[in-house]
Amino acid sequence: MSDAQILDRGYRRYEGPRGQVWAAMRTLIRFSFERALGMRRGFWAKVIPALIIVIAFLPAVVFIGIASLLPDAFAEAVPTYGDYYGFIVSALVLYTAFLAPELLCNDRRTRLLGLYLASPLNRLTYLASKALTAVLALSIITIGPLLMLLLAYSLQGQGPGNVVDYLTLLGRIFLAGAAITAIYTSLAFAVASFTDRMAVAAASIIMALLGSQVLTSVLVNGADWPVWMRLFSLVDLPLDIVERLYFGSNFGEPSISNWAYLVAIVAWSGVLSALVIRRYQRLDVTR
Amino acid sequence: MAVMTNVAEGPPSSSGAPNNPTISGQNITKSWGTHAVLTNCSFQVSGGVTGLLGSNGAGKTTLFGMILGLHEPNSGELRVFGLDPRTAGPKIRARIGYSPEHHLLPPDLRAHDLVRHIGEIHGLSRRDATTRASDALWQVGLGEERFRALGTMSTGQRQRVKLAQALVHDPALILLDEPTDGLDPLQREKMLSLIRRIGTEFGIDVVLSSHLLEEVEQICDSVVILANGTVAASGGLGELRGDTYGVVAVLDRDVELVGQLLSQAGWSTNIAGNRLSIAINQNLDQGLDALRDAIAEVGAPLRSLQPERRSLEDIFLGSAS
Repeated sequence: MSDAQILDRGYRRYEGPRGQVWAAMRTLIRFSFERALGMRRGFWAKVIPALIIVIAFLPAVVFIGIASLLPDAFAEAVPTYGDYYGFIVSALVLYTAFLAPELLCNDRRTRLLGLYLASPLNRLTYLASKALTAVLALSIITIGPLLMLLLAYSLQGQGPGNVVDYLTLLGRIFLAGAAITAIYTSLAFAVASFTDRMAVAAASIIMALLGSQVLTSVLVNGADWPVWMRLFSLVDLPLDIVERLYFGSNFGEPSISNWAYLVAIVAWSGVLSALVIRRYQRLDVTR
Repeated sequence: MAVMTNVAEGPPSSSGAPNNPTISGQNITKSWGTHAVLTNCSFQVSGGVTGLLGSNGAGKTTLFGMILGLHEPNSGELRVFGLDPRTAGPKIRARIGYSPEHHLLPPDLRAHDLVRHIGEIHGLSRRDATTRASDALWQVGLGEERFRALGTMSTGQRQRVKLAQALVHDPALILLDEPTDGLDPLQREKMLSLIRRIGTEFGIDVVLSSHLLEEVEQICDSVVILANGTVAASGGLGELRGDTYGVVAVLDRDVELVGQLLSQAGWSTNIAGNRLSIAINQNLDQGLDALRDAIAEVGAPLRSLQPERRSLEDIFLGSAS
């Protein structure tokens, strides 16, 4: 055996292709997604996301089991697609409260943000990448269980009757997922942009979501404030929109028009996103 | 699909030519609120290793932020690779490696994963980034440690990881913010020699910020001195230190005697402890010969004999005052 050693590897120039901003965004999305779900990390980093995902999928597994074991009682015993979010709303709130601080606070606390912004990314493309990551990660529980239900019911012969019904149902699943994701992500990002401490951010997100629900409920039901105040309940707003999408105008809050819901969701998402952008534009990332 | 460009289409690489500087600033003024950080700063940074020298709070990090296009100057014109960082920030940053001052990095991330990730963020493909991350970590002396979690590394090792991530995408320019901060003397020496290698053997221009005069003097070709919010001096070290203006000898004894002999011969002498210096006009060899002969005639034990030039400390103190 030779005793020869390589002592100096020399420096090699790189003359290959270089990706531009979109390549950087794609890399950041993949990396953030993997880390948020605990991939390539220790055991404890995987526990919370895995647990929440299991909680979100559990009702779907139960419904599929019921539909499989009691096919005759399917229509009565199994909730519809539109009812599903009622079963997983706590998982949605918890997942959002976990995800946003993981995506935003960590980069600021570990100052990785400074390294990102010293690359082709800028503050807006960085935030857009993080928002897309949140959308992807939230889709696992906002869209995933319903797609699983659709697939399982279809295999059992209990799915939609024709192609149009299929496409309509798929459209509803994606639109409902988008409505929930838009509100929850923008609120969670806005809260997470104010603190570097993940636990504080997570607690604040839960308090903001549940607090808005309790407050509007007290004002509307207890103090007879106008019903449209319900548009300020950030838990109920997306769920009302989901009901509208699946069951029509008599559901959600019947006295609130579809347009009002649409304006509310766009306004909330826009204002909260603008707040996040403003916070990040003021950050000094080189310190 | 990612838009890819060949390196040839990117911003021009560093030239090093004095008439085509890597970075140039004209009357740069920057303030944070009412606090003026930089006022009418004009400077040029060309090839090699450049030291950005100034005391803490002098505006070094702010200037780095402006070079990267992260802060905008209130007035003045800044050019990096001939481009304006305000409008061409992403294009400029794609060819810059940046190592920040802080030592915080995700503790559970492995060094190789971080360096590879930053390589990919700068546009390298996954495969290229993986290979170059290993190479960069070998170059900074962390080849064997590259799969260790950052949280388990010492400050010195983290400094080297930061250098590796700045190097991984083969930038034309590397900005190092206080790269020896927190290092012990041995680690500092190694880091400085590594930076010197990057600026010479690797052919990458380096700008390092520091408040330590000796380390800038040790490895830099040129310097930009910030004092009181302005550029107190800038240029090549040799140019700033000027021509040799004397010869200095350190003797064990008989300093006075040698001094007298030289004075009688018409030399202007200066004695400080066991240090004897004579002023020269133009001819260095003549001064060296005269001092050597006088020492030999007296038989004084000689410790050192060398030309005398202005030190960076002299320049810094002179310009700061």
